[in-house]
Amino acid sequence: MKQRDDWHLTERVMHENGRGDPFAAAIRGTRMPMVITDPRKDDNPIVFVNEAFQKLSGYGVDEILGRNCRFLQGPDTSSETVAIIRNALAAEEAVSIDILNYRKDGSAFWNALYISPVRGDDGIVQFFFASQLDVTDRIEAQRQIADQKIEVEKQVRARTLDLQEALEEKTLLLHEVDHRVKNNLTMIGALLRLQSRTLGDPKLQQALENMLERIDALAVVHRRLYQSDDITQFDIGAFAANLASDVLASMGRKDIALVQDVDPAFIPASKASATGLILNEIITNAVKHAFVDGRSGTLGLSVKQRDGAVFIELQDDGAGFDPSETHASSIGQSLVTRLSRQIKATTEWHSDSDGTRVSVTFPAAAG
Amino acid sequence: MAYHVPPLNILIVEDEALLAMDIEAMILDSGHCVIGEAASLRDVLALDLPASPDVAFVDIQLDGSSGLDVCTLIQERWSATAVVFVTANPKKIPDDFCGAHGVIPKPFSRAGLMSAMRYIEDGICDPPPASAQPSSFLASPKLARAWA
Repeated sequence: MKQRDDWHLTERVMHENGRGDPFAAAIRGTRMPMVITDPRKDDNPIVFVNEAFQKLSGYGVDEILGRNCRFLQGPDTSSETVAIIRNALAAEEAVSIDILNYRKDGSAFWNALYISPVRGDDGIVQFFFASQLDVTDRIEAQRQIADQKIEVEKQVRARTLDLQEALEEKTLLLHEVDHRVKNNLTMIGALLRLQSRTLGDPKLQQALENMLERIDALAVVHRRLYQSDDITQFDIGAFAANLASDVLASMGRKDIALVQDVDPAFIPASKASATGLILNEIITNAVKHAFVDGRSGTLGLSVKQRDGAVFIELQDDGAGFDPSETHASSIGQSLVTRLSRQIKATTEWHSDSDGTRVSVTFPAAAG
Repeated sequence: MAYHVPPLNILIVEDEALLAMDIEAMILDSGHCVIGEAASLRDVLALDLPASPDVAFVDIQLDGSSGLDVCTLIQERWSATAVVFVTANPKKIPDDFCGAHGVIPKPFSRAGLMSAMRYIEDGICDPPPASAQPSSFLASPKLARAWA
C-alpha cells in the first residue's frame, strides 16, 4: 500500500495511533477540531474524526463515525447557513461559514466551519475535509457590539428628535417674541406720535420728536437684528450707513451731502442697542446743530473694524460748538457719555470753526 | 391702465385701534383722504365705500383673519387698488405677494411711513416713481421690476 493510500484509510490510522505518515499524525494530534467525510458513501458520512473534534463536540468517536455532520445542528441553527453548506457540497466547492452547532450535552457553540473537497488524481472528489473552530466568544462579542450599536443609534435618534423639537419650539418662541417686540415698539411710536399732535408747545413737541427718533433707532436695531441669519451678531456699519441716510431723508435735508466710507463691522447683539443709540445721538446732533438755519454742507461717516476694535467717525463741516457748554445741559450728551461707558467706548469730540469730528472707538467683542 | 390722481383715497385695514389712528393721522398729514377703515376680512366685506380706494394699507395678522385673504378680496372688489402690507412679520408674505404692491415693515417711523406714502403716490400716479425707494418700503418682486 502506498503512503498516500494509507492516509486515506482513516479508520486504520485512527486505531493505529502514532503510526502512518506524519501528516496523518499531525491531523490526529492538532488542537484544531477536524473531520473527514466520504461523499461516495451513502449520505456522506464522517470517516475520520480527530481528538480535538471529540473534545469540542462532547461525542465519542463511536458516536461520530458513520454519521452525517448534520447531527451537530440544533433548533436555532440557521437553515440558510445549512443550505449554503449543502449547495457548496453539491457543487464540490470549498465553503467557509459560521454555523450554530450543538454539543452532546445540548449546549450551543458558534462553529467557524471550513470545508474543502479533496480530489484524487482523476479530479473526482474523494473526501471532504472539514475543520471547526469554536468562535462563540467572537460571535458573542460581535453580537454585543451590534446590540450596543443598535441601542446607541436608538438613543441618538431619540435625542436628535428631542433636540429638533426643542429647536422648533425655541424658533417659534423667538418669532413670537420678535413679533411682540415689534408690535409693542410700533404701539409706543403710535402713542407718542398721537400725543405729539396735540401738543401746542414747540419745545415739548421737539422733545417728543427726539424721543421718537431714539425709539425708532432702537426699533431699527431690533428689526435688523431679527432680519439677519445670525441674531447674535449685529452689523453696526450697515446700520450706521442706513441710519445716516434715513435721518437726512426724514428731516428733508437734501442740502447735506453724505459721504460714507463704511465697512461691515460686527458687534455682539448685547451691544447693538447701546451703540445704535449713540450713533443716533451723534448723527441727529450733527444734522440739527452743525447745519442749523439752513446751512448746507457735508457729513462724513466712517465705520471700520480692525484688530478687534470698531472705529466710528462722524465729521461735519458745519458750525462748530464749544463742548464745555453743551455737555452738562443736553440729555443727548449724557446719553452718549453713559452709553459709551457701557460699551467700553472712548468717545471724543473735537470741534472748531471748520466743523465737528466725533470718534467712537470700542472693542468689538462682548463684555 | 388708468393712473391715480392725488389726493388719494386710502383704505386702512388694521385691528389695532391705536395704529389705525396713527396711520390715519400720517395719511392726512400727507394730504390724502382715509375713506374707510376695517379691522377684519368681514369688515372689508361689509364696507360700503363712496369710491374705490387708490391704496389699501393692510395688516397681515388681523384678529381672526389673514391680511393675505383681505388682499385677495380687495383686488376682487376694487381691481385698481394698490395693496400695501403693514406687518411686523414680512417673512410671512408669499413670494408673489398675493398681488400686493409691497410691504412697510413694523415698526415704522413717521418719516418712514410718510416717505413710503410719497413713493407709492409717485409710483401709482406717474410711474415709475421719480424718487428713490425709501428703506421703509419693500416693493414686491413684480413691482420692483415694473418700477425699476
